[in-house]
Amino acid sequence: MVEPTLVLYGALYQRAMDILQDTLQETGARYALLIDRKGFVLAHKEALWAPKPPPLDSLATLVAGNAAATQALAKLLGEARFQEVVHQGEHMGLYVDEAGEAALLVLVFDENAPLGKIKLHGKRAAETLARLAEEALANPPKLNLDTQYREEAKALLDELFGN
Amino acid sequence: MSTINFANREINFKIVYYGPGLSGKTTNLKWIYSRIPEGRKGEMVSLATEDERTLFFDFLPLDLGEVKGFKTRFHLYTVPGQVFYNASRKLILRGVDGIVFVADSAPNRLRANAESMRNMRENLAEYGLKVEDIPVVLQVNKRDLPDALPVEMIQAVVDPEGRFPVFEAVATEGKGVFETLKEVSRQVLARVGST
Ligand SMILES: Nc1nc2c(ncn2[C@@H]2O[C@H](COP(=O)(O)OP(=O)(O)OP(=O)(O)O)[C@@H](O)[C@H]2O)c(=O)[nH]1
Ligand SMILES: [Mg+2]
Repeated sequence: MVEPTLVLYGALYQRAMDILQDTLQETGARYALLIDRKGFVLAHKEALWAPKPPPLDSLATLVAGNAAATQALAKLLGEARFQEVVHQGEHMGLYVDEAGEAALLVLVFDENAPLGKIKLHGKRAAETLARLAEEALANPPKLNLDTQYREEAKALLDELFGN
Repeated sequence: MSTINFANREINFKIVYYGPGLSGKTTNLKWIYSRIPEGRKGEMVSLATEDERTLFFDFLPLDLGEVKGFKTRFHLYTVPGQVFYNASRKLILRGVDGIVFVADSAPNRLRANAESMRNMRENLAEYGLKVEDIPVVLQVNKRDLPDALPVEMIQAVVDPEGRFPVFEAVATEGKGVFETLKEVSRQVLARVGST
């Protein structure tokens, strides 16, 4: 399979969570997410004071789509990659940076978070997370899901999608 | 490949609806969205043009429930079928676990069906994938058209070897929509743990 599956668990997952937590504290951002290139959330942290986040599935999907399009644009122009992306509205902003080949760091921040700090600590966190993701890719865990998983899943399919 | 998050005990699958422009891919997702109960679905995201043609993708997350302690979820996507959106179409295929190919029964779309299938093969090849590597289900949609072509004729151009399971559908009325989704999900799940 060409697309590597990035799986975070155990100590690596804990480290990813710690990095996201530190980044929230250093930057004053509301939410920090590590997502894969397909748009799945691998890990996420919310600042204690932050209001309820928007649907994270949608957020991750759109960021991944956007990043894929941006990367394709870079290639068209003969660049290996473009720098991190910042979107800023009147009150809310979004910081997206590559955490290696397989993942993306996303920071959602409001007007109280200084952009300089977001960029500085965002970049650093992305670099650390990139190494972590590499480590995770190099040691994929063995998934022990047996036929029982499949049987149970099939029963749920009947329930949700009808017979 | 499915994404497994051990820490959150989640398994996620990506299913992509492919096919020529206007064949009814978005209509499939809308129907599914309208019928799945709250709590088992997330927001549907549609990146479309003003005239409702898909521009980048539609997205719908579904929650199958908990299986052996793993929350199991499906992420459904549609691609833009229009020929000139190929760059975006290619991006959506990244990491795909299963495909629903939605063909159009209208006689004047026979060629478009065939071209879209060829295009899908080419795009998969860019990820080092073959159609044979992934579960694919063929949905022959718009069976309600008065001049709908025979299913065999459509099959002959998109899947001459008869490799994919076929479902007839009228997506606007929901006919065949869940049958198709269930079959592709079943096939995708059947591969869990077997790789
Ligand atoms: N008669 C009939 N019309 C259908 C059926 N399914 C979809 N349509 C209509 O076909 C048109 C296109 O449907 P969409 O679902 O937007 O098509 P699409 O495949 O998403 O098209 P793109 O986004 O351009 O790729 C709409 O007007 C639908 O109402 C069907 O089963 N029968
Ligand atoms: Mg569409």
